[in-house]
Order: sequence, then structure tokens, then C-alpha cells
Amino acid sequence: MMTTRFPTRRALIAAAGFFAGLTITGAMAQETLKFGLAMPLSGGQALYGQDQVKAAEWAVAAINAAGGVNGKKLEMVLLDTRADPQAGIQAANRLVSVEKVPVFVSAWSAVVKAIAPVANDNKVVQLSVGANSADIARLGDYTYTTFPLADVDISAVANHAATKLGKKRAAVLYINNETGVVAAQIYRDVFSKAGGQVVAYEAYDPKASDWTGSLLKVRAANPDIIHIQGLVADTPQVIAQMRQLGLTVPVSSYSAVYNPKLIEQLGKAAEGVIATSLAPGVEDKAVADYVERWRKEVGREPNGLPYTQYLYDAPYIVAAVFKALDDKKLPLTGENFRREMVATKTFDLPLTGRLTINENHTVNKPVFLMEVKNGKWVQLAVVE
Amino acid sequence: MLSFDIVAQILWTSFATSSYFVLFALAFALVLKVNRAFNFAQAAMMTVAFYAAYTCVALWGLPGWVGFAAALAASIILAIVIEVFGFRTLRRRRADQIFVFIFTLIVSEVVAFLAMLVFGTWPSTIFPSLFWPVTLVGNVAVSQWDIPAVGVAVSSVVVLFGFLRFTRTGQFMVAVADNPDLAELYGIAKQRIYLATMLTAAVLVALGMFLYGTRAQVQPTTAIDLMLFAIAATIIGGIGNLWGAALTAVVLGVVQNSSVLFIPSEWQGFLLYLFLFVAIVFLPNGVKLPARRRLTRKTVAPDLVGAGSQES
Repeated sequence: MMTTRFPTRRALIAAAGFFAGLTITGAMAQETLKFGLAMPLSGGQALYGQDQVKAAEWAVAAINAAGGVNGKKLEMVLLDTRADPQAGIQAANRLVSVEKVPVFVSAWSAVVKAIAPVANDNKVVQLSVGANSADIARLGDYTYTTFPLADVDISAVANHAATKLGKKRAAVLYINNETGVVAAQIYRDVFSKAGGQVVAYEAYDPKASDWTGSLLKVRAANPDIIHIQGLVADTPQVIAQMRQLGLTVPVSSYSAVYNPKLIEQLGKAAEGVIATSLAPGVEDKAVADYVERWRKEVGREPNGLPYTQYLYDAPYIVAAVFKALDDKKLPLTGENFRREMVATKTFDLPLTGRLTINENHTVNKPVFLMEVKNGKWVQLAVVE
Repeated sequence: MLSFDIVAQILWTSFATSSYFVLFALAFALVLKVNRAFNFAQAAMMTVAFYAAYTCVALWGLPGWVGFAAALAASIILAIVIEVFGFRTLRRRRADQIFVFIFTLIVSEVVAFLAMLVFGTWPSTIFPSLFWPVTLVGNVAVSQWDIPAVGVAVSSVVVLFGFLRFTRTGQFMVAVADNPDLAELYGIAKQRIYLATMLTAAVLVALGMFLYGTRAQVQPTTAIDLMLFAIAATIIGGIGNLWGAALTAVVLGVVQNSSVLFIPSEWQGFLLYLFLFVAIVFLPNGVKLPARRRLTRKTVAPDLVGAGSQES
């Protein structure tokens, strides 16, 4: 007959001690350094948000594979903002109150602006990665950007046209919304200051599907370069119609048109189009390897390549500051993170190069001017 | 700067690009006239038509005609779904016109959202290239897209005119538009005519969206923006007057495009709203042409303010 033996008290104590030890050891082994990532994972902007998140996940995995932060794992807490300010605030509140992260990464201007008070009130650092509204620099002590704001690339392309390309008569054609109006003013001011003359300054309606009237006005002004400040949805069509109407002068624009699709859409009409990029292109080996990894693992290039490069680099900034705090045995609080990040100031990052964070909450980054030549985007110049 | 060449160029390009607006306005005005529905769900039909063609041509590499067939099929299927499961149900419940309008609004938003989920927000075109080669006629640039587009729009107007005038279904549509109850008393199957109207609109929508998608980039919400133009043309042209809506679509395109020669370009987009405001406040029955025998009989404009449904 089988009997059941009940454990003795000594055995129970030993077992309890063993499991307690395991738990403590486990907790020590599981110690992670947390930071947040609030991005659109659903909704209309998810196409870009998901690719940017994937880039950040790859970076965290790479950092941890290389030993983490002083042997501790970096952990990214991911929440969905739907690119919606209200959802962004909810995500930020959770990151601050529940996850208790000292720093989180976010994007999309409207979301970054909405979250800023949460970051300021709780003294938790918000790193804006991708939003380019000029207001981002004025959102309080705890919101910093790692992405150059709107005026940086437009100033670079206007200066380059006037001083390096020797253009004297520019026409500016811009979409009549916040994106176009502010940037067109920057172009006009910088180009005029550099010695050029803006001979035509024409807005167009965001819902327009035909630009004949505006383009004929531009043609009559006889410019030697045309700057288009539109959106990715309308700029290729404006260029196509411009060429159809016989305007063959060089065209410049900004980062919105820097994508391979423009060449596919315009064919020979794309030749000579100048765009800006705020991150190095595939001429850089690290970027080429990164794009190749996308092709192999995902089967395509990422949507909004430069933005994903910035998202890839964001965890490296977090890890560098965490390491500095850990070395100094300082607690990982938002206040300490901010102080240490501003003190470190310069970061050498794998996919976007050197980043300098200024005290006025702006950053210094080089602007890459790209030009379509023989059906390919090639680097025209780098403006520091 | 106002030279003959500039005026001629603006007139020609505006005329060519108004081709799809004419088709959208005709589709909208037809459903409003016969079905008495303010069919904002036309935007949904436009969206599915475009993405069906886009999927076939741009994603699967099939020929253009297959893309058009797919656009036509998608638009027709959605039109049937909207009529049979939406309008017919609402008619049976004697729903107020405002509810019918809200229903169509929801359909257009749902389809735009679904398109966003499936295709993303990146702007797309049916063919990879947006650039159509041009030929100079005098000093006027005429692109290879312009002539077929104008041809399709003009042919559609002629065929629609003939359809309404000479075919039995077309004549029934005019009869139902005049007085649905009386038409039914005369043995016309009203529900079938409502469906036939939606199908005719679906064909016009598919044609218009195929033209638009071969020239311009489309996003899931593009059709909703385009609808404003169709609605403006229908209201200004006179509700119930198909040909007035088509003509207004052409005139609005020309006026909007040429306006930048006379007013600051920032005000260009404002013009459409100004015209709409003037039409609704001062010309609620549209711009009246001198009295003459009309191509289709005069109909009573449906009450858009919600003074009660005239449906049976």
C-alpha cells in the first residue's frame, strides 16, 4: 500500500529559503533600466510609427547584445499614441505614473506638444524624435529634441542655392497651411539675406489638384530656381505639371520629397530636383547595412528612412546617459537624466552621426543636400 | 502678364482637369435627383474604385484595363451594398433625410479608415509615373492624359443623356425623380430604379476615379476632399439639374485656376466656399439659365433642411 509522506518543518523551511534565494537571484538578474517609447502603433500614422518602433527595438536588442548598460539590460516600454494628442497624454501618464520611467521618447508635433506638460510636471524627460515644429524648442525644461527643427534644412537649401549654386532669382511655391507658410517665409528671408531676389511667392490650396495658374505666374517671373514647399502628396504633381508647362529650371524642396518614389513617379522630369535629408543616406556603410537588414528581414525598405534612423539612435542616447548616471551611482530620476544629458551634450550615434544638444533645446546636425542625377539620389553637399 | 497664351493654357488645362469633377458631380447629382439621397457615401465608392485599380495595376502589375474593370466592379458592388442594405432599409423605416445623410457620412469615413489600415497613408497612383508627355499646340501644352480624359467626360455626358432620354430604365429614372409614388402607381418598380441609379452613379464614379488616379496621387481621405467640389457644383448648378451640375464643375475649375491671375493665391481655396455660401444663401435653387425646354423634365428639389421626407 502506498503512503503519502508529508514534508517536515525543516524541509519546508529549506524549500522556502531555496525559493526565496531563487527569487532574489532572479530579481538581481532581471534588473533592467527602463525607458518609454510612445508612438503611433495604430491609426493613420501607424505605417510610419511601426517602422520607427522596429528600428528602436533593433537598437535596444543591439545594445543589450553588446552587454547592455554596465551589464544591466535596457528595457523599452512601448505604448500607442495613434499620433493623437489625447492618446499621447494617456500614454505619457502611464509611463510616468505606472512604469515610472525617468525618460521617454515620443514623436509627432501635436503629440509632443500635448505631452510636454506631463513631462514638466513630473520632471520626467521627453525626447522628441521626429517632430520638427519650431515650437518644440519652447515646451519647457523637460522636453528636448534629438531631431533638427523646421528652420534648419530650409535655411540650408536656401543658402546653398544663393551662395553655392549662384542663383539670383528664386520663385517660392508653397502649400497654404502651417507646413508651407512658415517654411516658405524662412526660405524667402534666408535667400534674400544671402543676396538673392525672390521674384515670385505663390501659395496654393491644400486641396488643389491643378496648379496651372500659379505655375504660369511663376513662369512669367522668369526665375532661375524654384523652391517648392509642399507635402509628399502634392509636390511630385506640382513638379510634373511644372515640367509639362515648360519650366525647366532647377527645383529644390525639402525632406518630404527625398524618397525613391519621386524618381519613379517623375522619370526624367525628376532630374535636377534637390531635396534635403537630415540623416546620412546609403552612401554611409552603417546606413547601407541597416537598409539591407530591412530588405532581408522585412522584405522592403522602411517607410520614412531618415526618421527610422533617428529612432534607431534614440536608445543609444538613453543608454549613454544611463551609463553615466550608473557610473556616478546616481539614481535614475528625470532630473538627474536631464542634468546628465545636457552636461554630456554631444553624442556619437550609429546611424545619424554626431548630435549636439544645445541649452536652448535645439540640436546641431548636418543637413545633407541630395540631388536626382541619372535616375538616382546622390549627395550634392553636406551643410554643417 | 495676361497674354493670350496664358489664358488659353489655363482654359485648356482647367477644362481637361474638370473631366473627373464633371463625372463626380454627375454621379452625385443623379442620386440626389432620383433617389433623393444626399449621397456622401459616393466618397466611399470613389475610394474603393481607386484602391481596386491601384491593387491590380500598381501592386499586382496587371494591365490598365484590368485595373479599370476592378475599379468598376468594386464601385458597383459597394453601390449595391449601400442601396440594398442602407438606403432601402432607411426608406422602409421612413428615416428622415438627415439620418440618410449621416449614414452616408459614416460609410465614407469607415471606408476611408479601412483603406488607411490596409493601404496606409502614403499617397499612391494607379500607374507608377505621374508624368504625361506633352505636345505643344500653338503655345498651349496638351498632355497625353488630357485628350482621353476630355473624351471620356464628354462621352459620358452624351451616353448619360441618351440613357435618360431614350432607354426605358432611363425614362423610369426620370419618372421616379419626378414623383416616386405616381411612378409606382404606373407600375414602375421604384426600388429597382433606385438601384439602377446607384449603379449608374457607380459607373460614373469608377470612370472619374480612374482618370483622377492616373494623374494625381490619392490617399484614403482624398475622395472626401473631392466630394466638396461635387457638392458645390450640384448646389450651384441647381439641385435636380444634372447638366447644370456638370457645367458648373467645368466653370468652377476654370474660375478657380484663373483666379490667381487676379487675386492673391492664398485666397484661391476660399473661392469655392464663397461660391457655396452665395449659392446657398442667395441662389438656393441654383443659377437659373433662361427658360427653355429642358433635356430632362423639371423636378422638385428635395428639402435639404430636413422638413420631412418625401419618401413613401
